Amino acid sequence: MRVVAVAVGLVVVGLLDGSFAGFRASLGRTGLVDHRRSDVVAAARGLGLVAVLLVPAVAVVAVAAAAATWPAGAYARAGTAMLTVYLPYGALVLLAVGAYAVLDWKLKYLASAVILGPFTFARPLVAVAGAVAGALSGADAVVTTTIVLATAAVLTVEPLAGRLWYEPVPLRP
Amino acid sequence: MTTVGRVEITDLLWGRDEHGMRQPVLRSQVVARLEASGQRRAARIVARMPASDDVLDPGHVDVLAVRVHCELQRLAEELQFGRRVAALLRPEVQRLREQAPGPVRVLDVGCGLGFLVRSLAHEQALGPGVELVGVDLNDALVDEAARLAVVERLDCRFVHGDAFTPGTAVDDGARTLVISTGLLHHLDRDELVTFFRAQSDLGAAVFAHWDIAPCVWSTVGAWVFHRARMREPVSRHDGVLSARRAHPAEPLLAAARAGAPRHSTAVLEGPRWQPGALDVVRPIVGRLP
Repeated sequence: MRVVAVAVGLVVVGLLDGSFAGFRASLGRTGLVDHRRSDVVAAARGLGLVAVLLVPAVAVVAVAAAAATWPAGAYARAGTAMLTVYLPYGALVLLAVGAYAVLDWKLKYLASAVILGPFTFARPLVAVAGAVAGALSGADAVVTTTIVLATAAVLTVEPLAGRLWYEPVPLRP
Repeated sequence: MTTVGRVEITDLLWGRDEHGMRQPVLRSQVVARLEASGQRRAARIVARMPASDDVLDPGHVDVLAVRVHCELQRLAEELQFGRRVAALLRPEVQRLREQAPGPVRVLDVGCGLGFLVRSLAHEQALGPGVELVGVDLNDALVDEAARLAVVERLDCRFVHGDAFTPGTAVDDGARTLVISTGLLHHLDRDELVTFFRAQSDLGAAVFAHWDIAPCVWSTVGAWVFHRARMREPVSRHDGVLSARRAHPAEPLLAAARAGAPRHSTAVLEGPRWQPGALDVVRPIVGRLP
């Protein structure tokens, strides 16, 4: 059961990250002041895109699960190590997003300046750090393959969403 | 050895004659200028831009300007520029309303895509009876700002030209608040005096110009944010350099007092030894008594 709980946790983190990545890919494109609707569309696109990109990693897990030597323990150890890295990061980001959504402009600014901006900058490093921690804890070739595919998928969402939906930018003149 | 100061790439991509007419810009000259100031990465960025007979493609440059300013708008939104400016202007507008009836004008100088003006209009942040006007020398940006305002049905307007030329954007200085964001670091210290003098000559009731406060935090912050948020290499280069070129409070105040001696001026920031996070972008404010 532990491996299932860990897997669910990682999938939730991955989907959440995908929707934020899709949102970021859409920003700074049109110049419009009110872009709430396009923000929602962009987040949904990111969610869908990360779900598709995670299919190879899920396929590896499915094949491994069907085999006689299903490395459940290694998956659980690896996933736990990854969540140990990702959950504090994700919790802080969600806290900052919540603050940004409801607080006054000075605190919005601080949430962005202190957490959201720097954490976006650090995100690829955090993703790789979690992957390395997972690979070391799992110590299994199949598990490591799954981690590499999943990490690559998550890091691909933002640039791919940009290329798929926002480039070339409909610019004038 | 570097003998000339560093400049932002976007300072070099448009050439205008004394009448404001656009002039061709030679790519080789821009590259040479950037190399002369030791900006090799910037020189490589420009060297990749399309040109015909060494003249930078004006269409490409204009599209690039819009892209860069769209990205800048993203940063301005995230760092709450609209609300920040509205919080300072609201009491000033109220003061002018109480002095005499009639409209008050907020004039955004070097407005770029006009995000600030459009944002104030969208939020109706300053209440009724406030005319929101953006002015910029770059006609591509002004045209796009005007188009965006029409698309979102915003009550504001945009003018191409020199904001301080009488008749361009100021009808009654005593009812005008002149603002800008991220403009001052583009001016050297002599130009700053001229800039403030122009506002004094127009009799602007209030001026408030926000720019980056130069310190290690703003430089690190600019680097982090431009790496995290910007996609265009030009944006990344210019954004970081703008933090490094920004003027400290003392020369800003000296220029304002020299150019606009009738205005009561102050830079609204905390002590240098303990800069608050909000002070990383702060205004110099001048008021006529």
